[in-house]
Amino acid sequence: MARLLAVDDDPSNLRMLEVLVEQYLPQCELVTASSGQEGLALVAEQPVAGALVDVNMPGMDGIEVCRQLKADPSTAHTHVILVTAYEATSELKGQGLEAGADDFITKPIGTVEFVAKIRVMLRLIQAEEDLRDIADHLEELVEERTKDLERARAALTKHAEELARSNAELEQFAYVASHDLQEPLRMVASYVQLLEQRYKDKLDSEANEFIEYAVDGALRMQKLIDGLLAYSRVGTRGKEFAPTDTEALLDDVLVNLQVAIEETGAVVTHDPLPTVPADDVQLARVFQNLISNAIKFRSEEPPRVHISAAQDADEWVFSVRDNGIGIDPQHHERIFTLFQRLHTRRQYPGIGVGATIARVIVQRHDGRIWVESEPGKGSTFYFTISTRGEPVS
Amino acid sequence: MNQAPLRPVSILLVEDNAGDVRLIEESLKTYKMRNLLHVVEDGDQALAFLRREGDYSDAPRPDLILLDLSLPGKDGREVLAEVKSDDDLRRIPVVVLTGSSAEEDIIRSYEQHANCYITKPIDLDQFSRMVRGIEEFWFAIVKLPPNVSA
Repeated sequence: MARLLAVDDDPSNLRMLEVLVEQYLPQCELVTASSGQEGLALVAEQPVAGALVDVNMPGMDGIEVCRQLKADPSTAHTHVILVTAYEATSELKGQGLEAGADDFITKPIGTVEFVAKIRVMLRLIQAEEDLRDIADHLEELVEERTKDLERARAALTKHAEELARSNAELEQFAYVASHDLQEPLRMVASYVQLLEQRYKDKLDSEANEFIEYAVDGALRMQKLIDGLLAYSRVGTRGKEFAPTDTEALLDDVLVNLQVAIEETGAVVTHDPLPTVPADDVQLARVFQNLISNAIKFRSEEPPRVHISAAQDADEWVFSVRDNGIGIDPQHHERIFTLFQRLHTRRQYPGIGVGATIARVIVQRHDGRIWVESEPGKGSTFYFTISTRGEPVS
Repeated sequence: MNQAPLRPVSILLVEDNAGDVRLIEESLKTYKMRNLLHVVEDGDQALAFLRREGDYSDAPRPDLILLDLSLPGKDGREVLAEVKSDDDLRRIPVVVLTGSSAEEDIIRSYEQHANCYITKPIDLDQFSRMVRGIEEFWFAIVKLPPNVSA
């Protein structure tokens, strides 16, 4: 129920308003005051939605009442209708406007005009309330969203902490692998060899063969552990990406491979190569692993290896092409699996970790790696490096 | 030129793995220089030996320390840090001799003033060569400070 206040020094006017409200505005409750002070006191007691204030009153006039209502933040929203005499000057009405009046009505108050104005006022008040509700609802929504965001951020932080912890555990695992697993291995290898040295004369050729296998097994185990270690450290030991001149990088890699290149008479050529955002140590490792494989798995011909690069939408596609023995298409996926080999160790030495490490590094650079090859026709390894330059964990 | 020392060189080996101790002893046997190898098995014993505390009140001051990193209790890294921050002991060369080839161990050891870092080779011949190489280098090539306390 909307509470209305009428302020008039003439009781008969107030009485008439009471009758009008009772008859036409059942949704309203009218309180009356015979002076400005009394009116303000009533509003202070309990706020009203609207006030119908006579301008011409002894003592505090209606304009002052309006001014005071509008000046107080707790009552400023009150809809004030000033009641003026028929002959009121426009100057007086101007003062009313300045005081913040929302509407004017002229005496004598006509029923139709009064009811219409009050209805408009009620609609306005309702609209204002609706707006406030919407604003409140919006605020709630924003609060909810803020809470959602905070929850999401907390989850992310937790996730990052978990990731850091799991990386630390992986580091610890890698360290254990590098140190603690090697020691017993060294014991086996060393003492079998010592046995061989000391008791060579007392052992037959079969015993020496057994010793050879034992030592070979231990040495191989050591290489596998080193490979596993290198593999596990791609993610945990990676550096931030920086612009990397792959042509200069390739030159360094070829220096590392100099012995293998000279021994096999390999010829390594390349097209102009770009600068890409990368972890240079890791990217060098990709080139080194792919080129050394290209040289290792050579055919009867001296190895020829060619490196080139082409730009795609948001990545560079590198290729390492060789004239080696090639790979049967059924094995194209398999060669990127850890410790997966296609040949016996007698044919080609190695533990099957080079292509796998290349794959993990390329994936960290938001790229893909694949091979196109057929037996006897050489192989071309392709890998992409994203130009966006953010490591993928 | 270096003259052969009048007394046998004294080496403190800090190593908990009996197998490694034996391998080092075997390798040293064949070496021409007279040497005394003292073996302790953990970090606390090593520091007690160097400071001549408890059972080690008569312990000689070693010319060289061979230090494994992974030891029970107080490990080799802590021993290294304590030796190198001790005014009296820091002049004794410390050779870190360990199974670890982890980069962080290598960096940390040198940061703590290890005199050199060696990863134990898995091959027996290489192991023997390594031990003899240590002797050759530290006692025939390198000039060491006089073996007296500061």
